[in-house]
Amino acid sequence: MTAYAELQVTSNFSFLRGASHPHELIATAAALGHQAIAITDRNSLAGVVRAHEAARQAGIRFVVGARLDLDNAPNFLCFPTDRAAYGRLTRLITVGRRRAPNAQCRLTLDDLLAHQAGQVLVALPPERPDVAFARALKDIRTRLGGPLYLAAQHLYRGDDAARIASLATMANDCGLALVATNDVHYHVPSRRVLQDIVTCIREHCTIDQAGFCLMANAERHLKSPDEMARLFARWPEALAHSIEIAALCRFDLNELRYEYPVDPCPPGLTPQEYLVHESQAGARRRYPQGVPEKVATQLAHELDLVGRLGYAPYFLTVYDIVRFARSRDILCQGRGSAANSAICYCLGITAVDPAQSDLLFERFVSAERDEPPDIDVDFEHERREEVIQYVYGKYGREHAGIAATVITYRRRSAIRDVGKALGLSLDMVGALAETVWGSSLDAISADEVRALGLDPEAPRLRLALMLAGTLLGFPRHLSQHVGGFVITKSPLSEVVPIANAAMAERTFVEWDKDDLDTLGILKIDVLALGMLTAIRKGFALIEHHHGKRLEIASVPQNDEATYDMLCRADSIGVFQVESRAQMSFLPRLKPRRFYDLVIEVAIVRPGPIQGDMVHPYLRRRNNEEKVEFPSIELADVLGKTLGVPLFQEQAMRIAIVAAGFTPGEADQLRRAMATFRKAGTIHSFRAKMIEGMVKRGYDRDFAERCFSQIEGFGEYGFPESHAASFALLAYVSAWLKCHYPAAFACALLNSQPMGFYAPAQIVRDAKEHGVEIRPVDVNHSEWDCTLEPAAGSTSGVALRLGFREIKGFAAADAERLVAGRGNAYADPHALWRRAGIGAVALERLAAADALSSMGLQRREALWALKGLGEAPPPLFAHDDPLAREPAVPLPAMSLGQAVSADYGILRLSLKSHPLALLRDRMAARGVTPATDLAGLTNGAQVRVAGLVLVRQRPGSANGVVFATLEDETGIANIIVWPQVFERFRRETMNAALLIVSGRLQHEGIVIHVVAERLEDCSAELRLLATAGETAITHQFAAAAESRHDRRFSSRDFR
Amino acid sequence: MALIAEQAKRLFVAAPDVLAQASGIVPGQTLADARALTSDLAVAPFDPTAITRAIDGIAQWCMRYTPVTAPASDDGVFLDLTGCAPLFGGETALLTELIARLARQGFTAHVAVAGTPGAAWALAHFAPGTIATSATERAALADLPVEALRLMPETVATLRRLGLDTIGALYDLSRAALTRRFGDGFCRRLDQALGRVCEPISPLREVPPWRERRDFAEPLLQLEDIAVTLQRLIESLCARLAVEELGVRGLECFGFRTDGSTARARIGTGRPSRDPAHLARLFAGKLSLLDPGEGMDGMVLSPIALEPLAPEQPTLTRDDAQPGDLAVLLDRLANRLGAANVFALAPVESHRPERAQRRVAPNTAAHNLRWPNGMRRPLRLFANPEAIEAEAATPEEAPLHFTWRHVRHCVHCAEGPERIAAEWWRNAAPAARETRDYYRVEDEDGGRFWLYRQGAGEASRWYLHGLFA
Repeated sequence: MTAYAELQVTSNFSFLRGASHPHELIATAAALGHQAIAITDRNSLAGVVRAHEAARQAGIRFVVGARLDLDNAPNFLCFPTDRAAYGRLTRLITVGRRRAPNAQCRLTLDDLLAHQAGQVLVALPPERPDVAFARALKDIRTRLGGPLYLAAQHLYRGDDAARIASLATMANDCGLALVATNDVHYHVPSRRVLQDIVTCIREHCTIDQAGFCLMANAERHLKSPDEMARLFARWPEALAHSIEIAALCRFDLNELRYEYPVDPCPPGLTPQEYLVHESQAGARRRYPQGVPEKVATQLAHELDLVGRLGYAPYFLTVYDIVRFARSRDILCQGRGSAANSAICYCLGITAVDPAQSDLLFERFVSAERDEPPDIDVDFEHERREEVIQYVYGKYGREHAGIAATVITYRRRSAIRDVGKALGLSLDMVGALAETVWGSSLDAISADEVRALGLDPEAPRLRLALMLAGTLLGFPRHLSQHVGGFVITKSPLSEVVPIANAAMAERTFVEWDKDDLDTLGILKIDVLALGMLTAIRKGFALIEHHHGKRLEIASVPQNDEATYDMLCRADSIGVFQVESRAQMSFLPRLKPRRFYDLVIEVAIVRPGPIQGDMVHPYLRRRNNEEKVEFPSIELADVLGKTLGVPLFQEQAMRIAIVAAGFTPGEADQLRRAMATFRKAGTIHSFRAKMIEGMVKRGYDRDFAERCFSQIEGFGEYGFPESHAASFALLAYVSAWLKCHYPAAFACALLNSQPMGFYAPAQIVRDAKEHGVEIRPVDVNHSEWDCTLEPAAGSTSGVALRLGFREIKGFAAADAERLVAGRGNAYADPHALWRRAGIGAVALERLAAADALSSMGLQRREALWALKGLGEAPPPLFAHDDPLAREPAVPLPAMSLGQAVSADYGILRLSLKSHPLALLRDRMAARGVTPATDLAGLTNGAQVRVAGLVLVRQRPGSANGVVFATLEDETGIANIIVWPQVFERFRRETMNAALLIVSGRLQHEGIVIHVVAERLEDCSAELRLLATAGETAITHQFAAAAESRHDRRFSSRDFR
Repeated sequence: MALIAEQAKRLFVAAPDVLAQASGIVPGQTLADARALTSDLAVAPFDPTAITRAIDGIAQWCMRYTPVTAPASDDGVFLDLTGCAPLFGGETALLTELIARLARQGFTAHVAVAGTPGAAWALAHFAPGTIATSATERAALADLPVEALRLMPETVATLRRLGLDTIGALYDLSRAALTRRFGDGFCRRLDQALGRVCEPISPLREVPPWRERRDFAEPLLQLEDIAVTLQRLIESLCARLAVEELGVRGLECFGFRTDGSTARARIGTGRPSRDPAHLARLFAGKLSLLDPGEGMDGMVLSPIALEPLAPEQPTLTRDDAQPGDLAVLLDRLANRLGAANVFALAPVESHRPERAQRRVAPNTAAHNLRWPNGMRRPLRLFANPEAIEAEAATPEEAPLHFTWRHVRHCVHCAEGPERIAAEWWRNAAPAARETRDYYRVEDEDGGRFWLYRQGAGEASRWYLHGLFA
């Protein structure tokens, strides 16, 4: 058989050019019998790690390289021969990327020549090789030291024989060798169609207009060596040269032996010694009464293992970052598997006490896996930037970078782009894209299309659906990861190319977390967590107003009142357990101690739900079912969770203990869990695990449930340590809510946007907990919400809403306003003269009804401010033009109008609830207030109405939609089954105000309404806004109040 | 039916028609919401220029009622009916006729009459059908929403926030206070509506200045007289054109017959021209269209499009123009054979040879498009490829010999294949979806052919698609 290696391959990491994934290309090349394969994406190495991994699995040699498109010269394929040359290539690409805006790359021949050492270069001929090209080639030959080849392709253009012959002559004239390539763009011919489509997307045209942008035929696929030999029958040496190049370029990505930067240690100490010292000192701080035996043993074991693996510098780096945050009073807490580590606890990185839980350090670091640990640390979301800047400052941009996130095609984007490329009408594309809920990776079904009134069999539409399905999961562009840092000892740009991020002054490396993981490159996740911000702000408020100093560790534990509150599902605002699903579980789980919260956090997740582990657990916990273990060996693994596997570690342990996996295999299984959605490799484990368990005498049903739980863990599984970290924050926030509801609500409002609920619900919840809420006012508010002394209230404080609640009002304006306030603003003129803010901002204040302390209602305030004109005058303009004006009688607002206007600018109203005003109309339609639902019997037929607060369609719920409605009395939980959803899709998805008819369903103290009919009553809200006014009956009235006003908008989690 | 526009990646209804409005569709709605209200809503893209054109057209057409008409903002037409209404039997009758006639053209018109353009605009939009006099205007406007004053959207929004929803609510407010808050323009709009200041209607269009007209005291009866008159009209027009260095791209001649009917003839030129002889010759074949019938009492000649034309041009198109003057020839051919029968080929971006060109009018921009470089295409391409018998050594090679129209050709040399795949996105018969391998071959007699093989293996067939020179 002929020997050949394809060296010119464009994968879909040359965005919108290649039409196959790297792994498809690699697997195909291996199957065709290529000796090696390269992936040469345009000015990029973004796809090489995936290709490297795929090649390892397929057992084919992978040649690292890139295609370099130069501004002023022919294009080249560039293959580094060794590690040093590879570093030069990544630096070259970095140079090109850093100097070009958004995702482009600008390189010149001089750049290439400066980095040429150790590279094998292959010149790519233009469409029609001409004299100019021959001249350029000669010139380059004289300036290049290393090997240079000329690529020739058989493109089926009719003149191939002549063209290749002339290229051969040119090569001969310049003293270069000809190498055969096929300029591969896809792995099989059938992908040509998709290649045409991505070309159209790239060129922003439709397939009918694309013309010569498209390729004439489907020949750019991987061809077998024999086929290549036939095409190049007259130039056999061209094939041999491909092997020659592959042999020259032996650089392997595994050589990126990673050296971790060593932080300076105190003199005389090695990093390991320093780590031991600091951990032990930390342990003594954590346990002032003496370090428990269990912890001491664990610590010694961990330090030994870390020492053997040489990870001490890594721990010290994270330690340093955390210490920096602490020194700036930035709350932080480690999450994920790092919480399995006693070292991390002692260093203050994590907060889960190893004395109180069983840790599985091997889940975090294991000698067997020989892969770097992964410490993720959450920081306050508003101050994470300080931490990031610290990291940059400490290591320099040459050594620190953020990982990439590969943005891939999802259903909505795929159908939109493919539809446009196929020239489907705008409205058809729009309708298809809007029907898609979420970013799921499943293709759009024919039924969904039919539901839009479209014919899925119409030829173009059928093509669009089919192609959109293939395009799913294709990378579209790179973006920066939220907080994954890579820090290297050698310059980062010699490890991986670095590109500019969209955000100014940010850069990111071309590889994503999985890529870094594959190569064993250490990284630190510097993540943002809103709840940490809220907790810090809450602590500060409590210290200021109640004189009590708190930190996470000093919050009283095992507080009865707090657990009582959680058992009532009274958890709006509480970290992790505020979601609808969590709320419905709380009364059933009845948490009474910390570990219950750990379970609560972990159990309401897709993994346990999909594995149907939730109900068995609840039954056992409520003593409705005997606690049994499938075997004695599993009693150890599952003891804490009453025989039901809930955590990621347990799933792994079951695989080891019950299915006979080696720890290594179990770890592969875990990795498969993490990536299964992308690669689908997990299924290969299915038979092995289930059969293994059955063979050892386990119930097949149990085995299958264990496995489907593992599948469910795919993206969302929690390790126990992670659940414990989160449960701690859940407890602390619940404690705050329970004992300091005003401070808690205030802190939450000041940390927005975060969490599940909008300010309106937080305010309402605080009100229901006896907190007095005071409106935004120019004479009392600050930018943030504040607490004010309130003699009458039990806690002694009232919550004053801040200017931040006013839509479109800037923080800087609030600052100026507060600075100029003095004793008070007596009238609009004083405000206008002293606050120093623009007319638009002033009008917003009026619109927010924030001048009432001057005795002015919203309309009067607006009228007055309007009369003061545009620019604020110099400080000494004392003449008040308003004083000379006659009073103007403006029509008074109805309550409905006032509430509606409040929602318009504040998204909440302290005056009334819209539903209270519509109650009579609702009662006439047979609507029951939400609080009255509790008094009705299970199965009763009811109608409820309310503003739609939240809509959710969780992936684990098989298309069931959960909606939460709010009326003036409370909240009603709605379940919409798929059949009903299909019938009332528009109502469910779009309505601001819904009337739902259905059956009542009690589950403990949680009540649902299972919807049978839904009505969109958003029009009633508009009525509210105009009620009591002169009826205006003309066609434009409706237009003026468009359906799309976002006053009553919900938070949708799609 | 609704017109839709795209904004921020969403489709919005820009303008619904009456039926759509009846089912609750309003401008600004997303298309998805509108579709939910009426699943069979037909849509077309919102094209502002087309709407301006249509409004201009209506404004022109309205000149039948009054010489002074003007497009009003982007959705209406002003008619100055001063003194015109009696001709149509009064304002009510005029309105009825206007609405009926527009309805026959497919337009739904909302019409109102008032003493000022401002009041008429307000009433037409918000109380159509009203006929107000200066005495009743103030009352008629009082209940209308403030939108009726043609204000900036921000001003309207502010007024509504203040609770000042109707025009009537503004009557009692101090003008100084209003001006301070909303600027001078605000009170001017109010005054315009109430007739306190004058708002002239700037008439749409003057009579086209290039029109030539002759009226005859005695109706003409002979075609020859018509021809002579036409010649004079052309000469006089061309003389004026020469002064301004303009040429026409076409001429239209109207003859007004005594029985009230109108005769009409029209010519076009490929290039701008002001050569009377050339233009007259183009009319020669069309004179019969200007048959005077019972008699013709007037003729008008008007240019179709004017373009700059440098003065030296006339020497090129003298009566003794050289045979090589392509433009003159093309005009003559087109006017004689019909414009559709004189065409040129222009390139089309398609890999499929039969779709790679199209017919275009000669001497146009499309005609001058560059043909793609480097594609080896035969001089003569058959509209329908002809099936041939051919034999090749392997399925990847050119034929050794082939038989076309019963003549056997032995292939002397060949180049190829050029592989051209089907345009998969087209709906085509299965055979047309196959990939073709094209070969350029030369037979032993030196004839050069363009052959292709279609289909794979046993099922493959050979065709001849063209001949090289």
